[in-house]
Amino acid sequence: MKKKILCLMMTMIMLLSLGQAMAQGNDVTLTVLWFNDANESEVFKETVADYLEANPGVKLDVQVVAFDAYEKQLKLMLAGGNAPDLARMTTALMPVFSDALEPLEGHADIAEVEKAFAPSMLAFARNGEGKIVAYPTEATANGMLVNKTAFEKAGIDVVELSKTWTWDEWEEAARKVIAASDTVKYGLAVDFTPHRFSTIIYQFGGRMLTEDLSAVNFSNEGTVNAIKWFKRMHDEGLIPPSVWLSSEKPAELFQAGIIAGHIGGSWNINTYVGITDFEWTAVQCPKGEIRSSVPGGKFIAGFKDAKNKDEAMKLAGWFSDAEHNAKYCLGTNNLSSRVDVSIEYPANTEAFGVFSEELKVTPTYTAEEWNTAIVGKIGNAVKENVVQVLLGSMTAEEAAAEIDRQAAELMQ
Amino acid sequence: MPKAKRKGQKGNFHQTLTPLLFLSPNALIFVVFIIIPAVQGLRMSVMDWSILGTPKYIGLRNFERLLRDRVFGITVRNTVVYSLFMVLLITVFSLLLALLLYRNTLRGERLFRSAFYLPSLLSMITVGIAWRFIMGDEMGIINYVLRAWGAGEVGWLSDPKFAMGSVIFVSVWAQAGYYMVIMISGLQAIPQELYEAATIDGCGRKQSFWHITLPMLKSTVLVVIVLATISSFKAYELINVMTGGGPGYSTKFIVQQVYQVAFTEDRMGYASAMSVVLMAIIGVFTLLQFKLTGKEQDYE
Amino acid sequence: MSRPSRRHPALKYLALALLGALFLFPVLWVVLSSFKPQQELFRVPQTLLPNRWTLDNYLFSFSQGDFGLNIKNSAIVSVTSTLLAVIINTMAGYALSKFIFPGRDLIFGVMIATLMIPLQVIMVPIFLQLKGLGLLNTLLGIIIPPAATPTGIFLARQYMTTLPNSMIEAARIDGAGEGYLFMRIILPLSKPIVATLTIFSFMWRWNDYLWPLIVITNNRLQTLQQALAGFVGQLQINWSSLLAMTTVSMIPVTAVFLVFQRYFMIGIAAGSVKG
Repeated sequence: MKKKILCLMMTMIMLLSLGQAMAQGNDVTLTVLWFNDANESEVFKETVADYLEANPGVKLDVQVVAFDAYEKQLKLMLAGGNAPDLARMTTALMPVFSDALEPLEGHADIAEVEKAFAPSMLAFARNGEGKIVAYPTEATANGMLVNKTAFEKAGIDVVELSKTWTWDEWEEAARKVIAASDTVKYGLAVDFTPHRFSTIIYQFGGRMLTEDLSAVNFSNEGTVNAIKWFKRMHDEGLIPPSVWLSSEKPAELFQAGIIAGHIGGSWNINTYVGITDFEWTAVQCPKGEIRSSVPGGKFIAGFKDAKNKDEAMKLAGWFSDAEHNAKYCLGTNNLSSRVDVSIEYPANTEAFGVFSEELKVTPTYTAEEWNTAIVGKIGNAVKENVVQVLLGSMTAEEAAAEIDRQAAELMQ
Repeated sequence: MPKAKRKGQKGNFHQTLTPLLFLSPNALIFVVFIIIPAVQGLRMSVMDWSILGTPKYIGLRNFERLLRDRVFGITVRNTVVYSLFMVLLITVFSLLLALLLYRNTLRGERLFRSAFYLPSLLSMITVGIAWRFIMGDEMGIINYVLRAWGAGEVGWLSDPKFAMGSVIFVSVWAQAGYYMVIMISGLQAIPQELYEAATIDGCGRKQSFWHITLPMLKSTVLVVIVLATISSFKAYELINVMTGGGPGYSTKFIVQQVYQVAFTEDRMGYASAMSVVLMAIIGVFTLLQFKLTGKEQDYE
Repeated sequence: MSRPSRRHPALKYLALALLGALFLFPVLWVVLSSFKPQQELFRVPQTLLPNRWTLDNYLFSFSQGDFGLNIKNSAIVSVTSTLLAVIINTMAGYALSKFIFPGRDLIFGVMIATLMIPLQVIMVPIFLQLKGLGLLNTLLGIIIPPAATPTGIFLARQYMTTLPNSMIEAARIDGAGEGYLFMRIILPLSKPIVATLTIFSFMWRWNDYLWPLIVITNNRLQTLQQALAGFVGQLQINWSSLLAMTTVSMIPVTAVFLVFQRYFMIGIAAGSVKG
């Protein structure tokens, strides 16, 4: 009997090799690694459907991975010599993987690409040698979304006020909104990410890196002031502690009508279109020392080690031409990264307008900083040390110094 | 005491080839999929290695750095605190539930067992989701009720004073049913006649618990303690969904730190060194448990 | 036999009912929330029951992605892996509990020790190993490796030590082969632990996220848990789909539990051990 069981085991092991053999077909199947915030993978598939129709030998295998696991999954696949053909990338992932990405050179007309896409987006898409290694897809801008109804209740025309407001004026208005409402308890929430927090850093005149981008330097006046302000807003009850101290999501608090404003970004439009309980819109962020957003975006890129490099780059190029890019951005409610695309959104046109305007006044060093590899690695250090300030166990200066110290250790 | 009676059984069988054959499928899988990768992975603890780069030998430098790593120290402390409470609460609570529900005499017993076991059937991600809806500061139902009563809100997950307690509570909630099942099968294996004999001898209920139930259940309790210890030292998903390790470092455990260092900071070698320390701690705890509960061979 | 439970059954019921409610409430919350329209999910105050019942979350989730396929994959993996696990774990448990041979305690110790390794750290070597064996992107890759669970062996061994040696001895004297002995004597006597292992192992495999994450990178082979995790984005969580699919994912494990509950936790005391 045990022999039978051993036989069974053997058969199983034999089956493995069979399964492996069967996995290989004749057609080209392009594996695409993807993550979703909403419906992006579906819209992607719809957008390239015509390509697949025109090329019946090409099949798509889109694997949606939780964003939490995305970077790890990609690293695992690359380390194991099992690179996907294409992958969706974020601005933060670009510097991490840029060396493994296939340059567009030889697959597309670089001059055309440089003309078609916004230079700020192309900056993210370049690798260390300055070669373009990804097609920008959607462009994003950090910014503020507000509960218009709540401001109205307090007698404030937020659209008008926001055209010139400073953070002090915002604070005054926020207090009025909270006082005038039963549901709104806080003025603002900021996503628990260093990327969103950097919006405030930049607005307060701060920087994350040294001028030449060679080292992390949080110990500057603007950045420290931003941390101090953030701490004061928490202490005075204008910002809910649950976001940075536990895991409540600003987007959910906003939809629940608990916060009057949300420092999020253009991608939130896609979620907030579903809100029926109140009116909302995007407004210009209050001015600190300067006005600033943080540019970002998503990309589609191929890999040097991928099996079907040529086919993959063809598809990526098709997906990124003006027509298809417009279709994708419309379907996902996003700003396009192409300069030659203008999209007629069915709703919230003013919100899209606000985010585009925000990008125009944003200093270029914001993109340069976010395009360095080191900024991607210090994310946790920034979060953890700012939280220590919020908890009162560190001063803003100490936190900034600690972030610099940890970053220096990571750079070794 | 009854123990002597059962000791009358003969010892095990002296053979070598048969048991090895029976062991072989398991052993093969272990060696191929766990032990070889583990040896390779843990070897990285003496390397400087980013996942996409080539490992470089650096001796014990990772371990030296660990000694100076303040955050790692905090995570070790958190992990040990969490595990001690978890194991204690899980053991007591699952035993309690099992004692209430093992006899097959109570009406609706099966229904209750199912109710207590149901949370264990859920994936940790589901558990995290459910409890965030309940314990969340602003959106959570508990604070809503507290507000409605005019009591102050509590930062169940955002106040460092409460976060660890909340995480332990939910972990116990999520796993008590699972250990209850193990306890119940242990309790049911105790021969009924022992109790009958004890009653005839005039033993009270309390006495039979201390003199029959507990000694007979020793090996089961050991199983529960060992399994709970190991699983609590490795807790990851639930904590990740509920608090993400926060507020600050309040609920950050070794495994979280390992994960972060390995994949976000891209220091695989350093993360391996942390894992070696984690394994050493688990090993020491497990050995202690085997030692404290008497000779490992003594099942009855 | 006098038991307090006889004297105060009402009190016992009350305690059980309260505890039971505490245990069921969060689960109920998830299930009921999956019938709420998106806007209601974030409305404060939250209500337990949906104000407006809707199946939209389910319909929408099933219209997107390949949930049928994900469920099928999860089912194949969970069933076969559980079968395999029960067979090899009871075999190992038997070997470790009823035989004395050199290195036995060492083997057992090593097996328990493998439980202590955090998988997260050895993901890369495991990945390479799977790749070398051609198991990447095959369901076998998530069926075979996790079937050898140290916990399963531990439980099986623990239970089997309580089986009477006399019976095995008697069978040997009657000339029974070792395989026959295991299949015809040991396994039937081990019904409760087989049922327990079945339930546990099905639950582990069904809810497993880590192994599929390492092994499967092909969306036709993704399991339900992977698909569920896909709802958690960088910036947003797709709550409506997540809640709906989570509810769906709870059904099979609960069903398996209800079916096998009958076989485990019963009759251990009554039957076998008396030998």
